[in-house]
Amino acid sequence: MTGVSLKPRAPFEARVDLSGLTPEVTGPLSLRELEHREVPCGGRSLKLAELFFVEGAPDGVLLVEIGDARLDGVGAGMTRGELIVDGTVGAFAGRGMSGGVLRIGGDAGDFLGSEMSGGRIELAGNAGAHAGAAGSGARRGLSGGVLQIGGHAGPRAAERQRGGLITIAGDAGEGLATGMIAGTVSVGGTIGPLAGRGMKRGTIFVNAVPELPAGFIDTGAHELVALRLIARRVPELSAMLSGWTHARRIVGDTLMGGQGEVLAGV
Amino acid sequence: MILNGVEIRDTFAEAFPMVGTRLIVTADTPEWALIAGRTTTGFATSVIGCGCEAGIERTLTPEETPDGRPGVSLLIFAMDFGSLKKVVPLRLGQCVLTCPTTACYAGIEGGKRVPLAKTIRYFADGHQISKKIGDKRFWRLPVMEGEFVCDEDTGSVEGVGGGNFLILARSRGEALKAAEAAVAAMVQVPGIILPFPGGVVRSGSKVGSKYKGLFASSNDAYCPTLRGTVPSQLPDEVGSVLEIVIDGVSFEAVAEATRVGITAVCAIGAEGGVVAIDAGNYGGNLGPFHFKLREIMQNGAGETA
Repeated sequence: MTGVSLKPRAPFEARVDLSGLTPEVTGPLSLRELEHREVPCGGRSLKLAELFFVEGAPDGVLLVEIGDARLDGVGAGMTRGELIVDGTVGAFAGRGMSGGVLRIGGDAGDFLGSEMSGGRIELAGNAGAHAGAAGSGARRGLSGGVLQIGGHAGPRAAERQRGGLITIAGDAGEGLATGMIAGTVSVGGTIGPLAGRGMKRGTIFVNAVPELPAGFIDTGAHELVALRLIARRVPELSAMLSGWTHARRIVGDTLMGGQGEVLAGV
Repeated sequence: MILNGVEIRDTFAEAFPMVGTRLIVTADTPEWALIAGRTTTGFATSVIGCGCEAGIERTLTPEETPDGRPGVSLLIFAMDFGSLKKVVPLRLGQCVLTCPTTACYAGIEGGKRVPLAKTIRYFADGHQISKKIGDKRFWRLPVMEGEFVCDEDTGSVEGVGGGNFLILARSRGEALKAAEAAVAAMVQVPGIILPFPGGVVRSGSKVGSKYKGLFASSNDAYCPTLRGTVPSQLPDEVGSVLEIVIDGVSFEAVAEATRVGITAVCAIGAEGGVVAIDAGNYGGNLGPFHFKLREIMQNGAGETA
């Protein structure tokens, strides 16, 4: 294999924070240096080798062979390289990412890709609450890059999103894109209540017209050239939009200027 | 040099640096895309009087366009970047935005940015919305027909303007036939436009005039009806001269178009009434690009002065 592989020695007894362990950090280190690198675990700091078998050759790729819901901050702050998790991760995965690729084979906890500004996250399973959203104290959620969720997303995904793209193959929980500032979200399944509440701009693509807050106005179904353009320019949306010739355009939140929109295929 | 009985005169076309850009205009049907293209590139034969030189580079299939609809590729050239930044949004706003079903996209990625929707989005009076995909931003402008979709800007290129050659023929009809053949062949060359009507100029010009304030005037040395009254370049057998002017995104593109055009004219040959191929220049002192006819026909390329 190429890159560094981390394989847990045993189930974690406490939450482990891997937020400082990104491919760009591990790349220049030797295996020995990596083994001695300390990471927060519960209230303590432990050497990486106490938690994981560390193998391979550092080269910009980091592989976590067995994921764990107690692994927090996986790929947080990544700027380049590739991080692959063969399983589930905890909270804050990909938080503040600005580049690189984070692939997660299982589920992710809360705040996946929160405040992300670039790069790509590919999640095979479900995401917890606040995916692509603004974390505590942050003004903006995801502002760039691509966050792909293969399963469902919990409440408040895309909250205060400022740009970039979030795709949710399954359902989205309540409060999707609350306070959205700009960007694009697509949902393949159903959408929970209060989607788009307080959104200023941005686009939410859905397959069926959802129940929306009172500040949204249905402008009717339209043939939009932009759909064709997006379907061709955005590969992540091409499967969803390629069959659309018309979309029902529901604008809102009019309480915030009404320049956001929900586009539902018809 | 004689090709199929046609004399290739030992001279060169003298061309100038221009700044150009490419727009991709799409529409619901090829007909409407073409209407938009023709309108946008209308009254753009010469920078002398039009502010820019423009033309349809080629038509595009749906597979070749950003939104999967039929389209046209337009090239617009100006003498400097400042002029280009002015004329492109004007033509976009008056000729593409107004044309039913159209959308407009960047056709060049590199170079200095020429504003498209960045300028004309204000027509939407605050209802315009943008979407950024990767590094590219496009705008959606609500219009009475629906929405006008347009890239924020397009790139630019330092091109070549004023490449040319002259077709000297026995009669007007024969000159026109040869010119039409040249145009039909040249429009297949990528990266060039022939900005004059139908790609052909009947009123080639020389620099200056006896009248103050005129920068250009009739190229009397090539006017058959003045033969004998002015220093003429026309032998007795020549009854009509037509010029092909070429603008292109590169020296190589203009040289190739020149070669293709002259080849098409020579295929008609002396039997078809073509006497000679000549070119317009100013002694080589004004324009840095020299397209030497004989070298182009021998080697398929010219040289930069």
